[in-house]
Amino acid sequence: MGTLLLDILTTAAGLFIVSSGLLIVFGVMKIINFAHGAFITVGAYAALVTYWLAVPLWLSPVIGFAAGAALGAVTEGFIVRRLYRRPLDAILATWGLSIVLGQLVTLAFGRQVQFVPSPLAGTMALLGGDYSRYRLALVPAALVIGVLFTALLNGTRLGLNTRAVILNEGLAQSLGIDSTRVRFITFAIGSGLAAAAGALITPLASVDPNMGIAWLTNAFMLVMVSGGSLLTLAVSCLVLGGLQVLASTFISPILGGLTIAVVAALALRLRPAGFARA
Amino acid sequence: MLETGEAARPAGWGIGAWVRLAAPALLAACLVLAAPGVIGTYLVDILVRASFVAIAAITVDILWGYSGFLTFGQSAFFGLGAYGLAIVFTGFGFSPTSVALAVTVVILASGAVALFVGWLSFYPGATPLYASVISLVLPIVLVQVLYSGGTFTGSSSGLVGFDSFDLANEDWFRVAGLGLVAVAVVAKIYLSSDAGRILSALRDNEQRCAYLGLDTSLRRILLLVVCGVVAGMAGFGYAAYGGIAAPENASFLFGTELIVMVALGGRGSLAGAVIGALAIEVASAFLSGSLPYVWELIVGIVFIAVILLLPGGLYGGVAHLVGLARRAPAGRTTRLVQAPARPRPPDAADEVVRATGVEKHFGSLTVLSGINFTARRGELVSLVGPNGAGKTTLIRCLADGRERSAGEVQIGGHPIGRLAPDRIVALGLGRKFQAASVFETLSVADCLRIARTRHERPSWFRASPVLALPPAARVVVENAGLAERLHEPARLLSHGLKQALELAMVLALEPEVVLLDEPTAGLTRVERQRFGTILTELVRHDRLCVLIIEHDLDFVREISSRIIVLHQGRIALDGTVAEVVDAPLVREIYTGHGQMAESPA
Repeated sequence: MGTLLLDILTTAAGLFIVSSGLLIVFGVMKIINFAHGAFITVGAYAALVTYWLAVPLWLSPVIGFAAGAALGAVTEGFIVRRLYRRPLDAILATWGLSIVLGQLVTLAFGRQVQFVPSPLAGTMALLGGDYSRYRLALVPAALVIGVLFTALLNGTRLGLNTRAVILNEGLAQSLGIDSTRVRFITFAIGSGLAAAAGALITPLASVDPNMGIAWLTNAFMLVMVSGGSLLTLAVSCLVLGGLQVLASTFISPILGGLTIAVVAALALRLRPAGFARA
Repeated sequence: MLETGEAARPAGWGIGAWVRLAAPALLAACLVLAAPGVIGTYLVDILVRASFVAIAAITVDILWGYSGFLTFGQSAFFGLGAYGLAIVFTGFGFSPTSVALAVTVVILASGAVALFVGWLSFYPGATPLYASVISLVLPIVLVQVLYSGGTFTGSSSGLVGFDSFDLANEDWFRVAGLGLVAVAVVAKIYLSSDAGRILSALRDNEQRCAYLGLDTSLRRILLLVVCGVVAGMAGFGYAAYGGIAAPENASFLFGTELIVMVALGGRGSLAGAVIGALAIEVASAFLSGSLPYVWELIVGIVFIAVILLLPGGLYGGVAHLVGLARRAPAGRTTRLVQAPARPRPPDAADEVVRATGVEKHFGSLTVLSGINFTARRGELVSLVGPNGAGKTTLIRCLADGRERSAGEVQIGGHPIGRLAPDRIVALGLGRKFQAASVFETLSVADCLRIARTRHERPSWFRASPVLALPPAARVVVENAGLAERLHEPARLLSHGLKQALELAMVLALEPEVVLLDEPTAGLTRVERQRFGTILTELVRHDRLCVLIIEHDLDFVREISSRIIVLHQGRIALDGTVAEVVDAPLVREIYTGHGQMAESPA
C-alpha cells in the first residue's frame, strides 16, 4: 500500500516535470510544440555527455536546461515565429523539427540504448518499505519547478507581461508590451524545461534517439486536459498518473500505458476546454 | 483558415471537363499497364507498396487538405486492413471464401472504428484540435492492442507466413496502380462536384455551415467512415502483397509520415498527395539504404521548409507558377435562375418567434432575464439598447437551443428545446452574423449553392451550371452587383459585398424569420440606405419576419415596424416606433447615464 502511494506520487511528479514545459508554451502561445519530445531527448543526451565528461551528475538538469533553451530560442526565431497564425501548421513544423533532431542525435550518438547512472543511488526506508531514493527526489524537483514558475509569473515584470499576453495579446501589444519577446522567452524556457526534464528522468529510463516521443503523447494529453493552468496540470498528473499506476498494477502494464491517453480523450469529450476553470 | 485548395473551379461539366478528367486518367492507366515491361523488378516492387500507401495518402488529403481535419490516425485504418487480412488468412487459410470473409471483416472493422472515432471527435461544438487529439490516440491504442494480442496478432513481430494471392509482381503492379488511378478518379469527381464543395465549406467556416442547416457532425462522421474504409482496403492490399502485417503499419509514426507526404506533395490537391506519396516511398527505398539517417534528416528539413514557405506543397507551388493562366478560364458560366416557389403550408402560423421567460446566466452573472416577446410575419422588429444589454445574447438564444439557461423559444410554432443550430434552421430561421461570415476560399456562386443544399440536394458527380435562387436572395445578389462576380473567391470581395453575400446566403434558405446582428456596421451611407430598402421590401413584399440589432436610431426609425428596447438584460420597452423612440427611458438610456453606443455589443 505504501509502495503504491509512493508510486503514484513519484509517477505524477515525473509527468509534471515532463509536461510543464509543454504547458508553458501552450498556455502563453496557444501553440502545441511537437518538438517537445525531441527536446526531452536532447536533455537526456546532455545528461549522458555530462556523465562521460565526469561532470557532477546533479548538474545535468542545469546543462540540459541550457542546451534546450538555446535550441528553443533558435526554433522560435526561425520556425515558430512565422506560424503564430497557423497553429495546426505549427504542430506540423515542430514535428518536422523533431524528425530532424532525432536523426541528428542518431548520427551523433548512434541508435543503441545507453544508460546514465543515478546521482542518488540506493533506496531508503519509507512507509514500511524500501523505495528508490532517486524516484523520491522527483517529488521535490517537481515542486521546485512549480514554485519557481508561479513565482516567475506572479512576482516579476516578465511574468506580469506574460500574463497580460495570455489574457489579451492585442491589448498587451497596444500597451507597449513586446509580445514577440514574451513569446521568444517563453518558448526558450519551455524548451529548456523539456530538456531539463529529459536529464532528470534519464537515470530511471534508458537513453535512445526516440525516447522523447513516448513521453510526448502523455505530456500532450495532460496539457490538453489541464487547459493551460499549472495548478490543474498538477492535479491532472496526480489523477491520471494515479490511474495509470493503478491500471498497471492491478490490470496490466499495457493497459496502464494507455490509461492517460484514453482517459484524457474521454475527459476532453465531456469538457473540450480542459479543466482550467473547473 | 488555410489558403489552400482550388479557389474557384469551372462551373459545369461540359464535354471539356470530362475530357480534362478522362485524359490524365487514361494516360495514367496506360502507363500502369505498360510500365512493368520497362522498369526494373525492384522498382516494380517498390511502386506496388507505394501505390497502396498513396491511396491512404489520398484519404489523408481529403480529410485534412479538403475538409480541414488534421488527422494522425489514418494509419490505424491502414493497419486494421492489413491485420484483418492477415488474421483471417492465418486462421482460415487462403480460399475464395476467406478472401470474401477478409474483405467483409476489413470493411466492417474499419467502418465501425471510424464511426466510433467520428462520433467521439465530431460532436457539435468540438474544436478541431480535439479531433486531432483523438486521431493521435487512435493509432497508439491500436498498436498497444496489437502488441498485447499474443499469437492472434503476432504481438510485436506481427503476422507473417500466411498464404496470399498468387500473383506475379507485374500483375500486382497493375492491380495496385489501377486501384490507385480508380480511387483518384472517383475522389476527383466527388471533390469537383457540388456535394464535394461542401467539404471546403466545412474547412473554411463550420459555424456558417451549421447555420445554413447542414448537419456538420454527421457529414464529418460519414466522410471519416468512407475514408477509413478506403484506407482499410489500402492496408488490405498492402498486406496481401507483402505477406506481412506489422504494428508499424498501424502506428502513429506511419500516420505522421502520411501527413508529411501530403504536405510535401500539396495538401488540397489530389495530384499533390499522390505525387508526394509515390516520390517519398520510392526515394526512401533507394536512399535510406545508401544514406542511412541522412535521408530522414533531409525529409525533415524539407518538410519544415515546405510548411513554412509553401503551405500548398511542392505541387501547389509549381501549379502557382505555371498555372497563372488558369486564373482566367474560358467559357466559365453560371446561369442565375429563379428557384421554383415553394408554397407555404396552409397551417403555417403567422407568429414565427415566441420567447417565453428566456434567461441566460454565465455563472452568477445574469445577462438576460424574463424575456417575453413574439414576432410575426411581415414585421421588422429592431432590438436596441446600450452595449452589454444582451442583444447578441438574445439572438444566440433564439438560434441555438443549447444557449439559454431557462425559458422556452418557439420558431415557426415549434419549440426549439435543446436543438442544435442546423435543426433550428430547418424550422425556418436564418441568422446573419455580425462580422460577415462566408466561405472565404469558395466562389460567390459556390457560397450561394451551399446555402441551397437544404432545398436542392447537390449532385455527387457533377457541378451544376445553373444556380437557382429564391427571388429574395436573387434580388440581393443582383442589386449588390454580385451577379457579375459569381466566380470570384469570396475572400476578394469588399466588406460591404461580403455582408451582402452573407445576407443572400441566409435568404437562399427561404427562412420565415431572419436574425440580423448589426448588418450595417462598417457600411457606407449609400450601402446602408440600399440595405434598408432591401429589408423593408422583404418584409412588405415577402412577408418575412426580420429581427435586427441596430444602434443607429435614425435608421431604426426609418425601417422598423416595431422596436424592442433591451436594458440590463430585460425588455424595457416593446412598442411601435412612435411609442418607443420618444419615450423618456430611451433618451435616458442613450443620452443619460448610458452612452451612445457605436462599438459592437
